[in-house]
Amino acid sequence: MGPRSKDLSLLQVENNVEDDADDVIDDASEEEESESEQEDVKLMEPSKTAIYNREGLVEKLEDISWPENVDWMHKLCLDIDQEKEVDVNDDLARELAFYTQALEGTRLAFDKFQSMGLPFLRPPDYYAEMVKTDAHMQKVKGKLLAQKRQIEEAEERRKAREAKRIAKEVQAEKLKERAKQKKQEIEEVKKWRKQRQQSGFKDGKDSMPDLGFEDGKAFERSSKKRPGVSPGDRSGGKAKQGGGKGNNKNKKNREFRDSKFGFGGKKGMKKQNTAETTNDFRAFNKGGAAGNKKRKR
Amino acid sequence: MGKKRKHSETQAVEPKKKDEGAPERPKRTLMGWKDKEEVQAQTDSNSESPQVFRNKEKVMVTCSRRINYRYRHLMLNLVSLLPHCKKDNKVESRSSKGATLNELIELRGCSSALFFECRKHQDLYMWMARCPNGPSVKFLVNAVHTMEELKLTGNHLKGSRPLLTFSRNFEKDAHWKLLKEMIIQIFGTPKEHRKSKPYHDHVFVFSIVDDHIWFRNYQISVPHNESDKMVRGGLDKMTLVEVGPRFCLNPIKIFAGSFGGPTLYENPFYVSPNQIRALEKRKKAGKYAKKVKAKTRRKMHEQSNPLEPDEFADMWRE
Repeated sequence: MGPRSKDLSLLQVENNVEDDADDVIDDASEEEESESEQEDVKLMEPSKTAIYNREGLVEKLEDISWPENVDWMHKLCLDIDQEKEVDVNDDLARELAFYTQALEGTRLAFDKFQSMGLPFLRPPDYYAEMVKTDAHMQKVKGKLLAQKRQIEEAEERRKAREAKRIAKEVQAEKLKERAKQKKQEIEEVKKWRKQRQQSGFKDGKDSMPDLGFEDGKAFERSSKKRPGVSPGDRSGGKAKQGGGKGNNKNKKNREFRDSKFGFGGKKGMKKQNTAETTNDFRAFNKGGAAGNKKRKR
Repeated sequence: MGKKRKHSETQAVEPKKKDEGAPERPKRTLMGWKDKEEVQAQTDSNSESPQVFRNKEKVMVTCSRRINYRYRHLMLNLVSLLPHCKKDNKVESRSSKGATLNELIELRGCSSALFFECRKHQDLYMWMARCPNGPSVKFLVNAVHTMEELKLTGNHLKGSRPLLTFSRNFEKDAHWKLLKEMIIQIFGTPKEHRKSKPYHDHVFVFSIVDDHIWFRNYQISVPHNESDKMVRGGLDKMTLVEVGPRFCLNPIKIFAGSFGGPTLYENPFYVSPNQIRALEKRKKAGKYAKKVKAKTRRKMHEQSNPLEPDEFADMWRE
């Protein structure tokens, strides 16, 4: 008989076989949820009617167990120490405990195998039926890749947001700077004019203000991003935009119609029904619908 | 015959030597059932050990009718993990379940069985039994995750022999020892089985936490080049990837016979899921009655402790 451990003194109850159903229900009323993952509840105190036939158990064990001197290769079983108590409800710790147990076991087994000189690991060119099909592994791979992509996209989005914010701040700074500069220059011109006024417009050239645009720098046009827009364009440059991916062969038509019919711009002399415009068929389809429309082509 | 026949003994080696003075009946090789002089003769004539232990374990895996899809997948996963098992059709019977099952096992020529019984489409009970007259255990299965879950990403050879690791508390008491022995015999693939594959690339974990047996199955992945040599320090780079399935067993009872017989062990902490559900319902049941009672209680309380007249009651003249 194995040594009795103190832990199971609670379980060491009499071998009564009295069936006491009420007892169980009373005990059951003092339950607590022990695992959250499973709807499993444990009794707080062990039920008094539990049978524990130690001799019978040991006898059965001897009956079924394999002979003593069986090679370890048949059993392949390893006993691993568990150092500390694991809380069942703490998923991470529990899984970590199982993982370390498996890792320890594998290491021990591997040492044994090496000492016996037996093959242990699968060579990379050994192809055989696996327990999960290739299609399934493809799905797993797809899911992992999708997860990775999600994370990366989230990262990128966050970075883009940050960059945008910073760029906006920088832009605001620049605008403020420019406004200040402009104001300053205007003030300077005003001052100069006052000065000249006060001194009576007498001198010609020697008190010209240092206005900065006679340094020799050419007049820089600001880097406009809208080169197609002229200052007098009331449509804001949108007249020519759009339809780049549309049908380019109708562009000429469109251009003509735009110039004739609208989008703002200078009104007045454009839309007139004159002799020239009466016979102006540039806007119409060039022989596109000639013939019977009903005849299939 | 006083002793029961072991499932394992065969004389595969040197049958000729047995004929000299050997009786007709089969030898009990490792249990010392022979006469002393025969033992001497044998050990003198053979230099190596004559007895060959062959693990001829065969497990029959079945389930009851009306089993859930999840548990059916679990059963199929186990069938693919154990190459020495035989899957059988669903078992219908309600009464005389033990007899039917025992018959089935005998019919298939198996020595153990795993029977999955699903009650009410919700609870899964697993029976682990040794056929002829061995002990049998009934478990309640929780926390089932099958191999089809995409989070379990590992894979291993189908039929390769697993390494079985047990936590140290399996040695703590008799019933755990018995369970450990049964698990080794049922879950360990026999050594030269036809369908077994040569390498060891997965490991089973059986560990007792909170009086439950937790099962995990990991794939061993090591970066290496040849089959038995390992890259220096490869042991440190060994990682385990979970293959699945996962489940947790709660032992309910251990019987001396197969699917029946006198009870050897009963789990004192076990509460059946039906009782749990009944309790929950009872907790919710008296909601209205409790409310009414609370109301009357409040009234009595107010009557017995009258409030003091409020000083500021007539401050605002209405």
